[in-house]
Amino acid sequence: MRILHPRRAAAAGVAALVAFGGLSAVTTGPALAASSQVSVVHGIPGQPVDVYVNGKKTVPGFEPGKVAGPLTLEEGAYDIALTKPGEDLGKALLKVDDAEVPGGANISLVAHLSADGKPTLTPFVNDTGKLAAGQARLVVRHTAAAPAVDVRAGGEPVFRDLTNPKEAKADLPAGDVSADVVLAGTDDVVLGPTDLSLGEGTATIVYAVGSAEDKTLDVVAQTLTGLHSAPGGVPSGSGGLADRGLSTPWYAAGAVGILLLLAGALRLRPVRRTVPARR
Amino acid sequence: MRARPGGAALLVAAGVTLLAAFGVVACRSRTAPDVGAATVTALASTPAAVAASVPVSDGRPPRSAGAGSPVRLRIPALRLDAPVAAVGIDQATGEVAVPSDVARVGWYRFGPGLSATAGSIVLAGHVDSAEQGRGAFFRLGSLTRGDRVTLTGPDGTGRDFEVVARERYAKTAIPLQRYFARDGAPRLTLITCGGAFDQETRHYRDNVVVTAVPR
Repeated sequence: MRILHPRRAAAAGVAALVAFGGLSAVTTGPALAASSQVSVVHGIPGQPVDVYVNGKKTVPGFEPGKVAGPLTLEEGAYDIALTKPGEDLGKALLKVDDAEVPGGANISLVAHLSADGKPTLTPFVNDTGKLAAGQARLVVRHTAAAPAVDVRAGGEPVFRDLTNPKEAKADLPAGDVSADVVLAGTDDVVLGPTDLSLGEGTATIVYAVGSAEDKTLDVVAQTLTGLHSAPGGVPSGSGGLADRGLSTPWYAAGAVGILLLLAGALRLRPVRRTVPARR
Repeated sequence: MRARPGGAALLVAAGVTLLAAFGVVACRSRTAPDVGAATVTALASTPAAVAASVPVSDGRPPRSAGAGSPVRLRIPALRLDAPVAAVGIDQATGEVAVPSDVARVGWYRFGPGLSATAGSIVLAGHVDSAEQGRGAFFRLGSLTRGDRVTLTGPDGTGRDFEVVARERYAKTAIPLQRYFARDGAPRLTLITCGGAFDQETRHYRDNVVVTAVPR
């Protein structure tokens, strides 16, 4: 890995290297497919960028607060760079070379500020495990230049002491929640409240982005779909009226019918034979 | 007593009558066989289009979509005109929360809605209940290919479907993933209970599934 932009990108590059290294360690297990889904999240306020993958401009004019992708990338090493729109690749704002993309994963690559306000790229592996019917997944990622925070839903803390660049997640019943972010252990709201509609069978990933110092804190949301499962069943009858099978009395009637027929036939047979003899 | 021909004939006649009655009832109680199972499989595996460029989406928090809730179901062949309610999951069982009023039909609100361009719009209704008697879907199993089904939205606009399949599965073996799929060709799936009734558990053994496609 080489680092181009000396000051800012140095820290970013090291952070990304560490993160990617950890990433491949996490996902080397059940990598069934060779390709991964990679989304890019822009969480650096005020600076639109062009996103380059292996020297190719992949997402031009990428605005802050937006989510691009997913890109389907084969397992392997990639050079990823962000430039000011239209600027030369040599003057990249952020650059990570030979970033390892493992196979069979769903990854969000987030351009954001570190805790001390430096632009950085952090990859997160997204949990795409199937949800039970009726459930939704909420993931919160601290990617803002801000201290540790608590995330509250409906006024109750659900995730505590989250620091940059960590995530917290939970599977909840699908529906609407009002969430806000407070300084850890306090009631000082730094972000929100924001109304979130947690779609059934989806993962809603909320990124806290921006800078507390510059008063640019905001949220960016990314949604992953297709994590739904079918319900366990369709219970739709308790009366038994629609059971069209034959009940026992009918079988009994059939059996009696056969017996009567046999008895009748047995009696008729000797009559036919003996009648001429008796006369 | 020596056999009296009259008595024997009477026995034979009674036997024939009983057997005939048994035969008629047995014939009438036969459940209609499945039709169109292969069509259902094909509908489920229609591939989606692949986007050419990298899509960029707005990172604003998601809002409820209001996925096109149907409000009425009409099936002329069954003389059925039933109100439809949006239903979800019974958290205790993980099963569809079919409306307790058997005259109502439940639309699975987590799946595709009235205006769906892909996937299976699922309506579940009671065949009957011990307390309320016959349900809206009592005769669902008698629908057959070509029967018309109309689903109507709150603004009165209808969407017509045509029955392409009718299947019956043991509840332990039904491929629910296929019927609750959110991808594949757009289709309407009507589900109720059927088959043998277990008097002890008060449950039917099977599910009856009717699949219809937009006309």
